[in-house]
Amino acid sequence: MLYFNSIKDLINTLADTKELLSEMFEKRKSFDYKYEYAIQVLNKDKVQKLIDYGILIRHEDQLEMDEKYLDFFEKIMEVNENINAAYIDEQIQNLKDNINFYLKEDNDYRKQKFLREIKSDLRTTGRVIIRNIISLNRNITNTFKTEPNYKIKKLKLEKFDQKREKIMQLIQHTENLISEDELTFFKSVSDDELKEISNKLQLKLNEARHNLIESQKQIIEYINQIEHQGQVLEQIRQVKYLKDQFELKSKTNVGQVLGQNKDIFFETRTTYPVPVSLDALQTDEAYNIIVQLNRSKNVDVKPEREEAEPIDQDYLTSQDSKKFFINHETVKNQFMATGDNLFDFIMKYDFSEEVNFYERVTLYCQILSEYEKELKVTDNYQQYKGVEYAVVLPNT
Amino acid sequence: MMNVPSKTDEIFDRLSKGEFICSNSSEQEIQQLYAIIDNRYEDLKEYFAQIGFDLKRENEYFYMARRDESKASIKRKIDKYFKWIDIFDFLKTFDNTIDPGYRFTISEIHNKLDVEANLKEKLEKLSTYTRKKNYRKSIQKIIDMLCKEGFAELENEVEGRYKILASFKYLEDMIMNINIPDEIQNEISE
Repeated sequence: MLYFNSIKDLINTLADTKELLSEMFEKRKSFDYKYEYAIQVLNKDKVQKLIDYGILIRHEDQLEMDEKYLDFFEKIMEVNENINAAYIDEQIQNLKDNINFYLKEDNDYRKQKFLREIKSDLRTTGRVIIRNIISLNRNITNTFKTEPNYKIKKLKLEKFDQKREKIMQLIQHTENLISEDELTFFKSVSDDELKEISNKLQLKLNEARHNLIESQKQIIEYINQIEHQGQVLEQIRQVKYLKDQFELKSKTNVGQVLGQNKDIFFETRTTYPVPVSLDALQTDEAYNIIVQLNRSKNVDVKPEREEAEPIDQDYLTSQDSKKFFINHETVKNQFMATGDNLFDFIMKYDFSEEVNFYERVTLYCQILSEYEKELKVTDNYQQYKGVEYAVVLPNT
Repeated sequence: MMNVPSKTDEIFDRLSKGEFICSNSSEQEIQQLYAIIDNRYEDLKEYFAQIGFDLKRENEYFYMARRDESKASIKRKIDKYFKWIDIFDFLKTFDNTIDPGYRFTISEIHNKLDVEANLKEKLEKLSTYTRKKNYRKSIQKIIDMLCKEGFAELENEVEGRYKILASFKYLEDMIMNINIPDEIQNEISE
């Protein structure tokens, strides 16, 4: 394997092969990159150079980027998905060491050098912690949503919970470092920039702690959901098994549970038919609905109309019949014009047909009752053929 | 006269047929009915109680039960319950994360038949209910049953995408309510 002699060499090589490297970096998670793809992007010699310098590693027909470079790019681009608690730990250790060196060093120039490193460490620690928390949260949600196997899903989430715990401890360590362990250093060094950086770090740590509390809640909720899902899957598996073995009724309380169940879900769908009121049927609206319904039934066959029986010939031939009747009004009017009494008038009246004595007496009574108001009934009674009658005169 | 909200008749009409009213339905009318019940739950519960019905509130859905004796025979209940165990089991085999809000198409289930023999076998057994030999038609029939009972709805007609409604939890609860004694659980192998 070849080694680079200088940074300049390295940067030139990277710049020269940037198309392939950026392509491979983008695809690092999606699929295995093949050698044949690489030689289409970049000429063979340049690909070989990358392999010779150990930037790329070739396994038969596959190419991958060396871990060192991949890690470097991910860190610089802040796209690392992995939560690296050890890295934070190391960062804190570095910080402690540098503080220690600073305090022990007498040479002012070297002191300043350590102080610069301390400042740089403080700046990165906050950023690294926050970045790790963001990755953690993203990983938690992704795992919950995409991992198909619920047992693995639960294990992964539990692992993330451990990482969360670890990050929480690191936050605590960092805070202790600033406010307790290295108090001497932070109090004694009168550097405004250091004060500002450590203040900012404390704010970041506070923010990180709040974020982690949220993460913890999220993990607990997801784990509970997964456990419930697991229980449901286990229960349905067992219930289904017993059902298929025809043992569900005898071995479980299903009969009792369903016996007590009053849910309408289990009933046949009931409808409540209400006949339409006759009044409603007579409206134009109802008529239109009936016509529509009739049309929708699409009856091609028209109902056969029953023919009525022929009309009887006898019914059509007219039969005249004459009936004699007495017009009471006419009789009364003629009586009013005379000065006679009603009984005598009727007895003498000349009808077109024969009217006997008794019919005439009846007529007397009928006219009397019909036109009572126009007649004057006197107290004078007379006898005729054994009939006693009151003398009735026109009421003038 | 008790003060009941508007649309009480529609609410009664649906619930008294054994339907569910779910919060996550895409139908605007159902959403409106859900909101009405949600706001006036106590009033409606009291009102329906007077005519012999028990309005029940569950997690994001409502349904009705009778206050007196159920009108369904125990045989009918068991038959219906067993049918839904089979369908629930089939759906959970298709995807164990299936839950309210889950979206799927007939094709997705159909495609999975080829890679999962277990699913295919279960579908074949479901032909007792679907009376279809053709796999696709059989799946369609099952989804139709889900929709008819109000456990799912066709969300996008163009894409043929269905959505599982909140009432799906009713099935889950019905299954979780069965108590299998420990010794029986131990008998059932993994």
